[in-house]
Amino acid sequence: MVALSAALRAQAVNDGLLMPRGALGTSLLYTHERWSQYWEGSLKRDNGNIGTVTTQSVTWVAGYGVTDRLSVMAMLPYVWTHATQGPLHGMDGLQDVTLAAKYQLLSTPFTDRGTLRAMVVGVAGIPASTYVPDFLPLSIGLASRQFSGRFTLHFQAHRGWFLTGSSAYTWRSKVTLDRPAYFTNGQLYLSDEVAMPNVFDYTVTAGYQHGRLCIPISLSQQRTQGGSDIRRQDMPFVSNRMDFVRVGGLVMYTLPAPRELGIRLGMSRVVSGRNVGQATTLQTGLFYTFHL
Amino acid sequence: MRSSLRRAVLTVAISGTVVLVGCDNTITSSEALPPLQAASLDSAAGSWRMIVLSGPTQFAVAAPAAETSAAYTAELTAIEATQSKLTAAQRSSIEYWAGGGVLRWNQIVRELVARFNLPPAPRPDGTYPVPDPENPFADPQFPFANPPYAARAYSYVAVAQYEALKAAWYWKYQYHRRSPAGVDNGITALMPVSDLPAYPSEDAVLSGVTVELLKVLFPAGVAEITQRAAEQRNAALWSGKAAASDIAAGLALGKAVAAVFVSRAGADGLRNAAGTPAQWQALADSAMARGEIPWISQESPPRPPMLPNFGRLQAWLMTPTEVATERPPAPPSTSSDQMRQELAEVRHTVEHLSRDQLAIAYEWNDGAGSYTPPGHWNDIAAEYIRDARMSEVRAARAFALLNMAMQDAAVGCWGVKYLYFNPRPVQLDPSIKTVIGLPNFPAYPSGHSTFSAAAATVLSYLFPQATPAFATMRDAASISRLYGGIHYRSDIERGKEHGARIGGYAVRFAQQDGAN
Repeated sequence: MVALSAALRAQAVNDGLLMPRGALGTSLLYTHERWSQYWEGSLKRDNGNIGTVTTQSVTWVAGYGVTDRLSVMAMLPYVWTHATQGPLHGMDGLQDVTLAAKYQLLSTPFTDRGTLRAMVVGVAGIPASTYVPDFLPLSIGLASRQFSGRFTLHFQAHRGWFLTGSSAYTWRSKVTLDRPAYFTNGQLYLSDEVAMPNVFDYTVTAGYQHGRLCIPISLSQQRTQGGSDIRRQDMPFVSNRMDFVRVGGLVMYTLPAPRELGIRLGMSRVVSGRNVGQATTLQTGLFYTFHL
Repeated sequence: MRSSLRRAVLTVAISGTVVLVGCDNTITSSEALPPLQAASLDSAAGSWRMIVLSGPTQFAVAAPAAETSAAYTAELTAIEATQSKLTAAQRSSIEYWAGGGVLRWNQIVRELVARFNLPPAPRPDGTYPVPDPENPFADPQFPFANPPYAARAYSYVAVAQYEALKAAWYWKYQYHRRSPAGVDNGITALMPVSDLPAYPSEDAVLSGVTVELLKVLFPAGVAEITQRAAEQRNAALWSGKAAASDIAAGLALGKAVAAVFVSRAGADGLRNAAGTPAQWQALADSAMARGEIPWISQESPPRPPMLPNFGRLQAWLMTPTEVATERPPAPPSTSSDQMRQELAEVRHTVEHLSRDQLAIAYEWNDGAGSYTPPGHWNDIAAEYIRDARMSEVRAARAFALLNMAMQDAAVGCWGVKYLYFNPRPVQLDPSIKTVIGLPNFPAYPSGHSTFSAAAATVLSYLFPQATPAFATMRDAASISRLYGGIHYRSDIERGKEHGARIGGYAVRFAQQDGAN
């Protein structure tokens, strides 16, 4: 039971859980994100030419326990965007395929109350289609290849409480646009290539697990290590400094039967940001575990 | 079975990571410009036909002191002293300006246009503030360097530089003073120094004429503009290309020529180009009186139309009568079958775009925040001018011809846009969505098509071997507006024809300007 629920929960790169050896977990997530206000640099505003921007996605996620200390994951979202006002066309397509490997460095009793685990995660992302990153906020992604090095500490108390801290640094490759010049960082670049600032993020999650139910709540922050602000009344640009703080909660429930099936329902909200929308996100999904 | 699956999964994970290794994140921000070694001195350029000046002697340049004079010798000694202790920053400045002053200033103007090409944000009450040249640092900044404003700015800089350099060439070959590096063995030529006479310095002429125009065109950029101009003069001095007196004479000549153009710019009609609410209403009333659906801003809140009186500006190479007679015929009526078919074509196109078509739409978007379509064609022209190793005066001629044609295209095109006040596809069919920003002015004819056909016509004359390439770019720039969902096919076709006719004026001028 514990092993099964861990399998069902180990579905994100920043959680503190591994797939049990030989378990293959897969989920299908639907995400609905919307915002009507955004930060143009530090100025919070709305914009009658876009109204409310909605981004929806269906993401396939798979995780597999290679050994008891090593899990691998893959994710692939299909994304579509829409603006409620103005003439701009929404976009849709396969976004980035993400591959991750989680390796547990240690798992040790910590005090007499629970177990402490430490793990490192390597995450690689690459665009899965030739989508256009130059039409923000309606582009479906930033089209950069990325690699993250992540470190996670997870404390699991015997009585069901847990606390996870996870932090990552993400290196991002240059992005190639369809145009021969662009203006950012206060200067004109006569190139179709855009240098992407790297990104630092962390997430702190506290939660409770009891029986078939698991309820984590989290606070996460992303800080982009460079890039410029959206200029006054300009469109966003792919290499803008996109920062945010987000709070969220999630409910995961494993069905009594079939026991391999679980459902999840989550919600999060951006509470502060820079060059991003103040998004409210709803997520729901089904997950299923195979034992190979 | 299990272990082979594990191995396969591991392999995928590792190879996925390897793909990402070795990302080089450096971007070269400007076109590489090798040190300019002009293919020809163009020693007769002092007699090439003027456009605005009465002739090369409109501003006299006094004879320089003799190369043997004490004053000049002191100037040479000063250069030797500077060269003996050049800093890395000074050397990098020399290297930068060695690429050619005309080409460098063209890059700088493109950067200024991109910096200032942002529309004012609406006020809370739904109205829009107007950029104020008397208060350029405020929000909204001045100017809003939209495509017509940019076309005009590029043209003023290019034509003024060209006229000033022709005058400089005239005086250079009156006085035949050598460069410091040519006179004094103790001075090293740190940028290519030719047999072109040094007095007055062409770098200082460019610096002086350009800085004065840019101060008027982009007053909020004054600090950077002034610094760049001073840097150009210093680079000429430090490199052994020009002595202090060469530079002083050049700067004075450049500023004198600039004053003529600043005065023209103050009276060319831009001042009234934004129009008044009564004039905007009259445009709509006139369309309705003809039984047509008038253009309505699709922005929220609705924004006044972009520079409705720009079509009344003074053109460079066309008389007001010629501007009027070269206009294309009226667009299809908004109630005609042809318009319905063209509207259906826009809708169908934008809903069935291939990735290649999207790439063309974005390559030529040149919308807000960019250097605009005229800037894009300057970008294209700069590479050909660089590769042809044109002298400064010949490079200035190329940019002047190109940008006069594009400014005249802006005047011609804007005149027609506001003559017909034709709605955009999105207005007639709100189900149409655009994949690029929707410009806030009437549709007919397409500005991109007009600019691009005028530019391709001029560039094909200057670089005939590349005529097919220019035609391809012209067609891509034009059709990109249909792919974007913002123009009907008629806008594009009539715009291209109109632009080509306007470009013909610049070609006919060039055929008899004495530079061939």
